[in-house]
Amino acid sequence: MVEFSPELLETIIRAAALIGAGLALIAGIGPGIGQGFAAGKAVESVARQPEARGLITTTMLVGQAVSESTGIYAFVFALILLFFIIL
Amino acid sequence: MHFFYLATFDIEAQAGPRALFEIFGIPINDTTVIGYAITIGLIIFARLATRNLELLPGRLQNTLEMFLEAIIDTTEGMMPGGGRKFLPFIGTIALFIGFSNIIGVLPLVKNPTADLNMTLAFGLSVFIFSNAYAIKVKGLWGYLKGYAEPMVFMLPINILGELAKPISHSFRLFGNVFGGSVLIALAAYFVPGIIPVPLMAWFDIFIGLVQALIFTMLAIAYISIASE
Repeated sequence: MVEFSPELLETIIRAAALIGAGLALIAGIGPGIGQGFAAGKAVESVARQPEARGLITTTMLVGQAVSESTGIYAFVFALILLFFIIL
Repeated sequence: MHFFYLATFDIEAQAGPRALFEIFGIPINDTTVIGYAITIGLIIFARLATRNLELLPGRLQNTLEMFLEAIIDTTEGMMPGGGRKFLPFIGTIALFIGFSNIIGVLPLVKNPTADLNMTLAFGLSVFIFSNAYAIKVKGLWGYLKGYAEPMVFMLPINILGELAKPISHSFRLFGNVFGGSVLIALAAYFVPGIIPVPLMAWFDIFIGLVQALIFTMLAIAYISIASE
């Protein structure tokens, strides 16, 4: 059994927290693709029915906001790793 | 002990509320101060705009009427017949969060909504309001039975889904505003002067207004879903 000094353990925990915070941002891929898809569909609908532009825009924004949740959760976890574990 | 490169661009100043001074041993932080400043400013604006109401509205009255009509129309679109009824609650949320989000363009002013305490308070008040309205509309038994729809074994999933609403609702606003302020702080550290100005315009004005709209629309949606 290898004995680690407390300083080394602290360093390892900090490094792992930083790597974890970076990895958490991978979750940005999903909302990015989803929101882009929603925006593309909204552009198609506006091209088809220009008079429904306002309704389409609000619906698109609300849908994007809901699909953004996972990305926001990842961001919050990254912040927790950065601020509460490191500092 | 601070980690060296987080401390260099003073990012802790962005994270969480800072206590400014104490009154009778209670620390008063910047979120509270700016929040009250916005509230007082809105009250003064409303007083000025409605001091002498006329049939042909002046400039201030016109602005206020435009805003109220936009909120009533949005609510009517999602909840027919509820536009005037929910105007006090929805309008307060929209005005306060909108101003909280765009006040960050002023130098040395932090967005009150970049503090989780503020957004969680709004999320919880929407949660309590929607559930109380559902109980009022459907009755207590009908409200409780709504959790066992469409089948009884969906009960824990429905309860968890209901509890996740205020969390995702408030974390969305907090994450967007706080993420924007962190990005602005990073840009101001690396490229001071030029880059932060369009970034502030983007994050504080555009994203701030869109997030205020989304928070309001989701509040309306939660109320209308809960009472169905």
